[in-house]
Amino acid sequence: MKDLMKALPWIGPAVALIATVVLFPVGLMFWNSTRDISQSGVDGGGVGLANFATVIGFQYFWPILGRTVVWVVVVVACTLIGSLALAALLNKAFPGRRLVRMAVIVPWASSVVMTTLVVHYGLEPYFGIINSFLVDVGLISTPEGYGWTRHPGTAFAWAMAVAVFVSLPFTTYTVLAGLQTVPGETVEAARIDGASGFRTYFSVVLPQLRGAISVAVLINIINVFNSLPILRVMTGSIPGYDADTVMTMIFKYMQNQRQIDLASALSVIAFLVVIAIVAVYVRVVRPLEEV
Amino acid sequence: MVITLAATTGLTACGFGGSSGEATGDGTTLDLLVPSYSDATQGLWDDVIAGFEEENPDIDVNLQVESWDNLESVIATKIQGGDAPDIYNGGPFAGFAEDELLYPVEDVTSDETYADFQPTFLENAQVGGTTYGLPFIASARALFVNDALLEEAGADVPATWDELLDSAKKVSELGGGVAGYGMPLGSEEAQAEAAVWLWGGGGSFGDSEAITIDTPENLPGAEFVKTMIDEGATQADPGATDRSPLFDIFVQGKVGMQVGLPPSVGQIESDNPELEYSIHPIPTEDGSPFTLGVADHLMAFQNDGDKQEAITAFFDYFYTADVYVPWVQAEGFLPTTLSGSEQLAGEEALAPFLEVLPDAQFYPTTNPDWSATDSAFKALFGQLDGKKSAQDVLTEVQEQVDAG
Repeated sequence: MKDLMKALPWIGPAVALIATVVLFPVGLMFWNSTRDISQSGVDGGGVGLANFATVIGFQYFWPILGRTVVWVVVVVACTLIGSLALAALLNKAFPGRRLVRMAVIVPWASSVVMTTLVVHYGLEPYFGIINSFLVDVGLISTPEGYGWTRHPGTAFAWAMAVAVFVSLPFTTYTVLAGLQTVPGETVEAARIDGASGFRTYFSVVLPQLRGAISVAVLINIINVFNSLPILRVMTGSIPGYDADTVMTMIFKYMQNQRQIDLASALSVIAFLVVIAIVAVYVRVVRPLEEV
Repeated sequence: MVITLAATTGLTACGFGGSSGEATGDGTTLDLLVPSYSDATQGLWDDVIAGFEEENPDIDVNLQVESWDNLESVIATKIQGGDAPDIYNGGPFAGFAEDELLYPVEDVTSDETYADFQPTFLENAQVGGTTYGLPFIASARALFVNDALLEEAGADVPATWDELLDSAKKVSELGGGVAGYGMPLGSEEAQAEAAVWLWGGGGSFGDSEAITIDTPENLPGAEFVKTMIDEGATQADPGATDRSPLFDIFVQGKVGMQVGLPPSVGQIESDNPELEYSIHPIPTEDGSPFTLGVADHLMAFQNDGDKQEAITAFFDYFYTADVYVPWVQAEGFLPTTLSGSEQLAGEEALAPFLEVLPDAQFYPTTNPDWSATDSAFKALFGQLDGKKSAQDVLTEVQEQVDAG
């Protein structure tokens, strides 16, 4: 206790910062989820856990949760595989490597909403460039194109593709940083022992990338789970709840139905789900352990 | 509601109606939150505010323009944060009135201004007998017909559903990506297309007491929407098609018929003046005339209750015909005041709409559940384009309204 009092002046600012930007909003979210808040935002008193019951009792809740898991797993897995390949390529010396490395940063540097909108408009019937291309090369028979973003399945698939595209740069660079730390001697030793390039990569290089990959995956899981703009743009015009994830549903509660209390309840559930996923990941993968 | 004016109210251009203009507290600031109707909206408000501030040097007006998509979440966030605007322009307001956040209109307008509103619009803005919304602008819907396409397909301008189905199918058969009837059931304004069909079949959304979507009267309309889709009379994927982009396609001459509004005339004028089109009443099941009327409202939030006089001064200034009519004209809508209608009586572009206005039916906006109804239609009505039956879709909309 005495030590704590001594330490307080030193850690105080950090504690205050965490309290105001992390703990307070989380607390407010939990608080709102147990209130009855009217459409125009007036607090009508506490209702206990009724909001949670409403949210979980919603007939599309479980499919939405399932779709969220699919969304996270597929996007993170595709991103990781793509990044490993890209990073291996960028780690080789070739003429113009610097330019290619710069180019990989572009999807990261541009706004996600812009990127998604470009693809979304490209997929529009009548005037979308992607649709026009597919019609011109004869893959689509209707002259106005196909409504990719108007069917839950195809819209969701395209949203995943965009999500992978915008997640690649960060993951690639994390893996690339990991590759830089692999000592040349280990690779050389494997070569002298007669291991094929394939064998060298999977038995020598990949295990040493463990730290970089673990961090990249962890951050990607959280990011992808909480990603709203891509799905919002890609699946926003689809009626019903067949292309929603937890995030877009929170948004629909908040913006369309203006049920701030239900949105808060679902946010709390999402928050707990993310924490659970991360906890399981840390237990199983043990990303912080050395090889 | 007939726009012929027996009474000439003869408002002078003096904006100070009944209130003693000098008594507005020193240095009052009015916060104005409005949606954007078009690219011109911000400039129009800026002009109004500049004129108003010139006449009332002791009142400052802060303008905040939001898109319709964000408007309702912005206002809810502001109210929750104790930061409500003083004057707000929006659609549904019954929820605010229920929460006792609004001034009754009579408290923030002079008697002359209040008496100048069209009576039907005032009735449409009342909750429990008190008027809470100032009728702001009105619009009506009509069927825009691409005459060239209909002629090419050998189809007639329809007056009933069966004729519409027949004509639309003929136009669709032209091929080349041409759609017979443009049906926007997407989230942007699904409630409007829903009203066109459900009400056109003799149904209704209910009244200020109860919202009734899942009724036998509404079923024929929903069933016929499915028929139109199934028989290929519409564009592809109507369930997820939004109104604005679809009307762009109409303007490009690729859609045979679509329901449009007064501003659509101006849009065609500026984007594709070559288009051969005409405007007709909306087809209904039995051919009887009907149109969907929409009125948006201005409303005044009480907040601390100390800006009543400044708000009154602003409203009285805004609704003088010389200020109000140019605003309405620039946006291409219909006025809600007697003096305004009188000034616009000779406008040719508005004639087809003024003609159908007597048969206008309105959304039950004064029902506190209207917002929930609106969002339920936006989220669910497009499912008619799919496997769900018409009955199931209506039931689901009703369930979401009742839950909201």
